[in-house]
Amino acid sequence: MRAKATNGPLVRQDCTVTTGPDVQPLLAALERLGAHVVDVRLPLQTGDADAARIMRRAIHDQLEDYVLPRLRRIEAPLLAVVGGPTGAGKSTLVNSLVGTRISAAGVIRPTTRSAVLAHHPTDAPWFEDRRILPGLERSSRSDTDPSTLKLVSSEAIPAGLAILDAPDIDSVVTANRELATQLLAAADMWLFVTTAARYADAVPWEFLRTAVTRGTAVAVVLNRVPPEALVDVRAHLATMLSEQGLGSAPLFVVPETTTHDGLLAPDEVTSVQKWLRTLAADAPSRAAVVKHTLDGAISSLAVRVFELAASADAQSDASERLRRDVESAYDQALRRVDDASGDGSLLRGEVLARWQEFVGTGEFMRSLESKVGRLRDRVGAAVRGKPQPGKDLAVALETGVEALVRAAADDAAERVGSSWHADTAGAALLGEDDLGHSSSELAGATTRAVREWQGFVLDLVRQQGEGKRATARYLAFGVNGMGLMAMIVVFAHTGGLVAGELAVAGGASALSQKILEAVLGDQAVRTLATTAKSDLHRRVAELLESERRRFLDRLEAQPVAPDAGAGLRALVQDVEDAR
Amino acid sequence: MIARLRGRHRRSDLPSMLTGLDEALAALEGRADPAELAAAQAVTARAGERLRLSGEHTVVALAGATGSGKSSLFNALVGGEVSPVGVRRPTTSRAHACVWGAENAAPLVQWLGVPRKQTTWPHGGTDEHRHVGQQDLDGLVLLDLPDHDSTAADHRLEVDRLVRMVDLLVWVVDPQKYADAALHERYLRPLSGHDAVTVVVLNQVDTLSPDAVNQCVADLRRLIDDDGLRRAVLLTTSARTGAGLDGLVAVLAEAVRGRRARNDRLVADVEAAAAVLSDGVGANTRDEVGAAERAQLVEALAGAAGVSVIGSAVEQSWNLQAAGRMGWPPTRWLRRMRPDPLRRLHLRPSDRGEVRSMVRSSVPEPTPVQQAQVQTAVRRVSGSVADDLPRPWRDAVRRAAGGSSADLRDALDASVVGADLGADRRPAWWRLGGLLQWLLVVAALVGASWLLLLAFGAYLRLPDPPTPDVGGIAVPTLLLVGGVVLGWLLSAVGRAMARTGARLRRRRAESRLRDSIGAVAQRLVIGPVEAELARHATAVRGLDRARTG
Repeated sequence: MRAKATNGPLVRQDCTVTTGPDVQPLLAALERLGAHVVDVRLPLQTGDADAARIMRRAIHDQLEDYVLPRLRRIEAPLLAVVGGPTGAGKSTLVNSLVGTRISAAGVIRPTTRSAVLAHHPTDAPWFEDRRILPGLERSSRSDTDPSTLKLVSSEAIPAGLAILDAPDIDSVVTANRELATQLLAAADMWLFVTTAARYADAVPWEFLRTAVTRGTAVAVVLNRVPPEALVDVRAHLATMLSEQGLGSAPLFVVPETTTHDGLLAPDEVTSVQKWLRTLAADAPSRAAVVKHTLDGAISSLAVRVFELAASADAQSDASERLRRDVESAYDQALRRVDDASGDGSLLRGEVLARWQEFVGTGEFMRSLESKVGRLRDRVGAAVRGKPQPGKDLAVALETGVEALVRAAADDAAERVGSSWHADTAGAALLGEDDLGHSSSELAGATTRAVREWQGFVLDLVRQQGEGKRATARYLAFGVNGMGLMAMIVVFAHTGGLVAGELAVAGGASALSQKILEAVLGDQAVRTLATTAKSDLHRRVAELLESERRRFLDRLEAQPVAPDAGAGLRALVQDVEDAR
Repeated sequence: MIARLRGRHRRSDLPSMLTGLDEALAALEGRADPAELAAAQAVTARAGERLRLSGEHTVVALAGATGSGKSSLFNALVGGEVSPVGVRRPTTSRAHACVWGAENAAPLVQWLGVPRKQTTWPHGGTDEHRHVGQQDLDGLVLLDLPDHDSTAADHRLEVDRLVRMVDLLVWVVDPQKYADAALHERYLRPLSGHDAVTVVVLNQVDTLSPDAVNQCVADLRRLIDDDGLRRAVLLTTSARTGAGLDGLVAVLAEAVRGRRARNDRLVADVEAAAAVLSDGVGANTRDEVGAAERAQLVEALAGAAGVSVIGSAVEQSWNLQAAGRMGWPPTRWLRRMRPDPLRRLHLRPSDRGEVRSMVRSSVPEPTPVQQAQVQTAVRRVSGSVADDLPRPWRDAVRRAAGGSSADLRDALDASVVGADLGADRRPAWWRLGGLLQWLLVVAALVGASWLLLLAFGAYLRLPDPPTPDVGGIAVPTLLLVGGVVLGWLLSAVGRAMARTGARLRRRRAESRLRDSIGAVAQRLVIGPVEAELARHATAVRGLDRARTG
């Protein structure tokens, strides 16, 4: 039985000529694009990130494996890649075309796991260096390592044309599918092999549709056709091909026969062989095929780079959005603490009660007396087992600020946590960690910060009182008493204390202010209050900053370039201009 | 080659597993991935439907890629050209069914959605039709499915639908396409728990040499094992030559005889659904809020509700009232001028009127610090029990704890207004003290009048009337001085006693307020949290039961 073929023109001859005499500008533009595409960072898990990463790789591979080498040496031999589903008999076909077993064939699927390239001996220099497919190690023996390319030199292959046996596109072995995709992207022409049992499979058709959209030249070999099904299946496949826009693709039919020593009978592949020889011998039509595919590849690259640019934009948008979530939540937290410590409301409740105790128990009055009085007081406190009310007041201030900072930080963390979690990129950054509440170090850090602030206020009072050391009043109050009063003044400084029961708090701060002004002078008190207040603000901001960092560090560990998308688009424009 | 279906090691209690899964699903509503929930709900629905239909029939499907020879195999088993066989791909576009033993099978076939005209009933009343190769297949419903991998997407949908419904799956592969990703990744791996009801048939072995068949079978076995189907039966057949058909028929006949495939299939479904859901549920950690967190919450709420403000108001109010009753009558009015702090807070019982719930107290608004403390305490309650739970549950517990924070203030105020502060009671000794005070006043007045009369008499130079004396001191003097001094003393003693009483009242009022605040905390924070935990425990228990029967 003779193989039958439909031989139309492989490609239309009217495609744009990509490669005039001066390809250098285009080549340079594409090289810049290739270098830039690798650098596009897609670290965030936005909705299309996985697809975009695969696309970035595919664009880079196609540029390096095919477009750039082809542009540099437009006269290099035409590379026909034999691709197709597992078990279609790709290797058997290649072996039969060469006439010897150069690629392993067998019943175990998938059979071919690494690429085998057959070429005419005179074409060897074209393939021995890393001109095309630079990522694949050249080797001379059969290997199952998918990162090698076995080169076979054979007189049976016409000069000016090389045949590459690719692994299958649809087996369970993922590495095979990836390698096949990469090899098909590097082809000047696809020799697509399918069988009578498989020709309607969904996966190969997806590949063929890609070939159509990218303008790759395709020839189809229908292998393993039982003689009785030949007419029917061939007609059906031809219909399907023209429905998909591949009506002009040459279609060869190889019947199902027994193999001899792993090879089909020479007769069965004559038509394919003859067609290949004709193509190899006919330099203009070979060049047309090359140019057609190259043109299609560059056009499709442009389209895909635009998609990649959109993904890069989505990345920087997502990064910006996540950052804004963090900033606004923690800014609000800082405002909340500021408001509460500025409007005097911190003085209500516990602080007010302690103030009254401080004044009421006579500690205040007694602290005006001599050191003996204080000593007596302390002894008394030790005997009674009660802490000094003055210390209580300091503790009450401390717990008040601490509770405020903590609740504000918790609120902010919860808000950021839930808004990040609702975003795919944010959820990926969070992972399994629960950052929905303030960090465990916050409580300790807040206590420390408030203590340090109190120390700072005491120092301020001490400095302000430097010249007034001698005054009896200053000595009478002591630095601690003055410091406490200063803190009260700070918290009520802008104080619009309105509610009736707050009169006492207002009174407390008014009294404190009077005493302080009497001792230090009113300008000094104002300065003191402002300085102490801005220092408290700074410390709280620092505390919240370290809380905010927990989120921002995660975000900044995955930096995105905000202008990556624009850069890609500009480079594509350069390529288009150079064409 | 005699292969046997290896049934499950133990008989699982399917109804109990289904009940468990149903309970878990009810508890998981809104707390698991909606797609996973929907899939599990579909499993229980399907299981319920299948269990109501004939258990005497075993539904077997021939599934596989286009061109693998499902229809040829189907026709060989049925013994006639029932399902069209052709060279164009894809050939079979609708499922075909063949039923051996028609009693009660019609509803089952209808449930499967195979139209009557696509159904063959070889049961012609004679026994010979029921036998294929000496095996009794009575009770077998054999389906020929469309392909799952061709360009016709509707075929894939039909396969996906039926693969979920049938009892026993026979995957037909051929030497060309036994390693396709479409088969292994989309079907076999997701069904890895179903190996008791999975058979893989390598068809078209006539196209290979015996040596190649062995290589092929070994490789296929390896792939199937990698898919997690170690116990699945692997057979070789050739629909064209008839080789290996006996083995397939034997496996089918055994499945029909054993009538276990339906149960095994549903058990595998339920187990798989439960395993998927389990990842998002985690283990049961705690089912109630700890005492420390509870106490902290009540403490924070008490601060926010102003318990200490109210307590001191109760104390002051008590002292004021005691002074009003037992103070020295001539100066009592001074005390009465002082406002009652309880009244200022609108907490005097007499102010409350009839409609208690409409009344709001005037207890000061909680300060930002107190609000912050309440928030932190509420967070600690949810965090203490939920931090180890998977995210959806953690969120649900947090929602439950914080969800009613808006109601919290009103509820706290209502509980403050509604609490019995004990401020209305007037002890009997106040009355006694008040009476004594008046007696002493009367005594002092009598003494004073008497002394005045005596002084008036002396002024008029009247003879001194005899004045009784006690221990040398004249009685009127004693009455006047004693009345005044004793009255003052009595009011001092009364004040001291009232202060002790006031402190006691304060303690009582505060502990009553704390009790009612504790009830609010239980109702609005701890109760919802514990309800969520109970729900989680139900889900864990249900899924456990769904997996172990």
